[in-house]
Amino acid sequence: MTVSQYFSGLFKGIASLIKGLTVTWKELWTPKITQQYPENRATLVISDRFRAELVMPHDENNEHACTACGICQMNCPNGTIKVISKTVETEDGKKKKILDEYHYDQGMCTFCNLCVITCPSDAIKFENTFENAVFTRGKLDLRLNREGSKMREKKKPEPKPAPTAATAEAPKAETPAPKPAAAEVKPVAEAPEVKTAPAVEEPKAPEVKNDTETKE
Amino acid sequence: MEKIKDLILRTVPEAVFEEKKQLTVSVEPNKLHLLAETLYGNAELPFDYLVMMVGMDWGDTLGVIYLLSSSKDVSKEVVLKTATADRVNPLLYSVTDIWETAHLNEREVYGLLGIRFINNPDMRRFFLNSDWKGFPLRKDYDPDSALNPVSVESKEIVDVAPRIMETPQGLKEEKVNIFEEDDYIINIGPQHPSMHGVMHFRTALDGEIVKKIDIHSGYIHRGIEKLSESLAYPQILHFTDRLDYLSANINRHALCMCVEKAAEIEISERAQYIRVITDELNRIQSHLLAWAAMCNDLGSTTAFIYGFREREMILDIFEKTSGGRLIINYNVVGGVMFDIYDNFQKDVKAFIPVMREALKEYHRLFSGNVIALGRMRKIGMMSKEDAITYGVSGASGRASGWSCDIRKHVPYSIYDKVDFKEIIRDECDSYARYMVRLDEIEESLKIIEQLIDNIPAGEHLVKTKPIIKLPEGSYFQRVETGRGDFGVFIESRGDKTPYRIKFRSPSMVLVSAMPLICKGEKLADLIGIGGSMDYVIPDIDR
Amino acid sequence: MLLEISHPAELYHLTNWLDTILQENLPEWGALLVKFVLIGVALLSAYAVIALLLIYGERKITAFFQCRYGPNRVGKWGIIQSVADMIKILIKEIIYIDNVDKFLFYAAPFFVIVASMLTFGAIPFGRGLQAVDFDNGIFYVLAVSSISIIGVLLAGWASNNKYSMIGAMRSGAQFVSYELSAALALMTVVVLSGTMNLSTIVAQQEYVYNWNIVRGHIPAIIAFVLYLISGHAETNRGPFDLPEAESELTAGYHTEYSGLQFGFFYLAEYLNMFIIASIATTVFLGGWQPIQIGVEGFDQIMNYIPSFVWFFGKAFFLVFLSLWVRWTFPRLRIDQLLNLEWKYMLPINMVNLVVMVIVVVYGFYIK
Repeated sequence: MTVSQYFSGLFKGIASLIKGLTVTWKELWTPKITQQYPENRATLVISDRFRAELVMPHDENNEHACTACGICQMNCPNGTIKVISKTVETEDGKKKKILDEYHYDQGMCTFCNLCVITCPSDAIKFENTFENAVFTRGKLDLRLNREGSKMREKKKPEPKPAPTAATAEAPKAETPAPKPAAAEVKPVAEAPEVKTAPAVEEPKAPEVKNDTETKE
Repeated sequence: MEKIKDLILRTVPEAVFEEKKQLTVSVEPNKLHLLAETLYGNAELPFDYLVMMVGMDWGDTLGVIYLLSSSKDVSKEVVLKTATADRVNPLLYSVTDIWETAHLNEREVYGLLGIRFINNPDMRRFFLNSDWKGFPLRKDYDPDSALNPVSVESKEIVDVAPRIMETPQGLKEEKVNIFEEDDYIINIGPQHPSMHGVMHFRTALDGEIVKKIDIHSGYIHRGIEKLSESLAYPQILHFTDRLDYLSANINRHALCMCVEKAAEIEISERAQYIRVITDELNRIQSHLLAWAAMCNDLGSTTAFIYGFREREMILDIFEKTSGGRLIINYNVVGGVMFDIYDNFQKDVKAFIPVMREALKEYHRLFSGNVIALGRMRKIGMMSKEDAITYGVSGASGRASGWSCDIRKHVPYSIYDKVDFKEIIRDECDSYARYMVRLDEIEESLKIIEQLIDNIPAGEHLVKTKPIIKLPEGSYFQRVETGRGDFGVFIESRGDKTPYRIKFRSPSMVLVSAMPLICKGEKLADLIGIGGSMDYVIPDIDR
Repeated sequence: MLLEISHPAELYHLTNWLDTILQENLPEWGALLVKFVLIGVALLSAYAVIALLLIYGERKITAFFQCRYGPNRVGKWGIIQSVADMIKILIKEIIYIDNVDKFLFYAAPFFVIVASMLTFGAIPFGRGLQAVDFDNGIFYVLAVSSISIIGVLLAGWASNNKYSMIGAMRSGAQFVSYELSAALALMTVVVLSGTMNLSTIVAQQEYVYNWNIVRGHIPAIIAFVLYLISGHAETNRGPFDLPEAESELTAGYHTEYSGLQFGFFYLAEYLNMFIIASIATTVFLGGWQPIQIGVEGFDQIMNYIPSFVWFFGKAFFLVFLSLWVRWTFPRLRIDQLLNLEWKYMLPINMVNLVVMVIVVVYGFYIK
């Protein structure tokens, strides 16, 4: 190392350090980027497409569109969805499979959207209500169909998602709180906890698959 | 490729060729090493780059598929297959002496399929404990959790490696110590602030100087390849996002293309454009995080935050496009899940100048800093030869002067239509790796600029059959992710689930090169080099 | 002195008053005893309060450098955040670790904190506010502050942890090296001022053109910068934070400490930062002297601001500089660190000392 190299190295080094200091000095005065959550809840924009929670929209008559076909359950890669159906007799004496309970274990969900994409009757959708923290794992096991709800009869092919979407969003607009329907959902959601949530032997995915494959 | 075929036939006359697009050769185990050596030494087109090693259970036989490529032209591929009928004590010959990258791959194959490799210097199981019962990727594996209970006891790490060596007297099983008697061994990881995940380097130190690194991995191994064997293709897709989560969209693109290629699904031009734009955005955010994390590894926390600030803009675009931020879950077989949102172009175009400005700031803050230069220049030297033999592709490989960009050499999707420069540097050090990433951000911006205003109208998603079944055969697809050459291999038997799926992990080769390039460096530089290599652990622990 | 300047808001009025009362009502030994206790308590509480302020300040300033807000939840703008943290640290469990050298392990934090407290006592905070005033004050400060390295080495050794050990060894090398530079930089000023007594040094710097940094011009400025760098390095703060390099050694020598013991290390680190800034202020920037330029009215106005405010203002400005540096640069490697000291700072320091001697001998300084 020659003397000139020694000094040029020293001064160049100091110059580069000062350059760095000017950058941080400038940044000291730039607007801060931290999101002030939860204070900014009212103004916080979460993309409509953001997938936080699977919901089953119900209309004003407490009716949903699920036919209990089980395609969502079959498409779910990790057994998040459990569709429990029951057979009832309609007025004209026909046997019909209807939805009894629709279980959605949010703790298992990977939010891959396959259930929504494959649902033939657009009965479920993902909401962007992202504040889903709870204290016990059992509370994540949600029941999506409401108490006493029934399937919407398809008399005329009216645009399905339009009214349901409207009803689902209506209470949301009034209160900034993320879970407007919490009061009604909660007791329902707790029901499976008391019951036999994990004890039910889950039908193996491929079997169900063959079942519906033939249907198609 | 005819010449290569001739060469193979001359070397091993009884080799069996398969009728495939790729040159596929099956040979007996005892001929494999010879053939590999010949292909490696082929002067005109040396097959010196082992892309992927796939351990296979074909039912009655166990074997390995080697996908070879050439460092001179990474688009040329040769597939070697070998198998042994012995399922109790399957033995194959190691190719570690030819390609260094085979070392960890063979250990992985041993752990997951139970095939041991003769002459591999260290035949411990990778990913799994040495007392694991059964070999998970075998078709007759018993997944009963009673066999392999979750232990709450702390297990001692045994630094003794078994191996099988070929001697003139026949095969000899022996055990070797990894470390010397009085080595000062320090555990870097599995829980360590700079390991970028749960990776474990057992590091022997001589004062501050790194003497030897022994890699332990598998702390978050999820068995994705095994899980995928019982899932349909659209279901497997969501796993790819969780491999290298920083290149989530690009990984997924690879699997989608592989399935589309096999099922002969033609996807729309619009979807191609959207895929490439999101891929490049994904690459930028991956490189940004790599930059930020490397600065943090070198002790510059402020730079870390700046990198994250700009990355946030991309994540917001992703969130609006796909509903995901990191795991963006966007590509699906046949196109993309949603069409772009209304302001997508506007947002992306607003991002480009911000990013350019930020790049300048990064250079002012860090690239020229005398301390940073001292921590990066001539540190972690990886020669081009080393990069090739370890299979270190991607930004790290290009920093060693190896032209290995898959986008350039094996253009997929619409990469042949866009104009961009492959960034190659020849300093071979941490600084080169660092600069390649920052320069690639600029190239990615250029690609986006070319595409963003020209997204053609049309379908974003073509209709596919509800159940996708791939015709019988094996399919490869390679893409360039943020870390390098990511590959998907699918062997299908005509079902809706794959018979075997394998992901080529670009991070694994990066980690496998760490012992080489860190040897003789300071402990502090081990961390810095790790940052410059930019590995993502879940990509290794598939 | 141009004129008798009044100092209405000075704390020495209070101390003098206390002194008089004690002298009148107690025997001499009793007054002395009470004074000792009072001074001790005052110093300890000042120590704690300054640490809290510094921790809060650092977190806020760091955050602003990084485009964040920093603590803003506990109290308005998060001002009682560090109080909350202190309470948390006080009530946290001290984890007893097996297989350590218990005595050394528990002794180590005390060495560190005692060293920094001893130094703290010798700083002239304001007019008449100095607990310990030796004739060889600078020497004393240098001597007692180096006790802390024993604590660091003990902590690293006794923890039975390899990270701690490496951190402590790095710290040892670093401290010993940079102590030289720090001492030489201070010696440069001693040559200029001709005394080691801190209060005399402050008294000499009554007007801005008397401040050592101005009076000694080029060599003094060089010494000032060198002192700041080496002081910064001595306090183990970035870019010299190798002993506790977070990304390499998790927390270095105090990895195994918890609760109050960790609190001691933490407190000492912050206070050392302040002590370095205080010494630099005292020696180079006129200590507690207000900015007086020799113009009567102006000086009088400046003097209405109490001297301790001046002192803390200057010291905190230097602390801010150190934070700015810390949050801009990446960390040095151990060999670079030693190179910087032995190849750059020490030679420059020595030449600088010689230059200063020449300046003083030939009277080239500003009189």
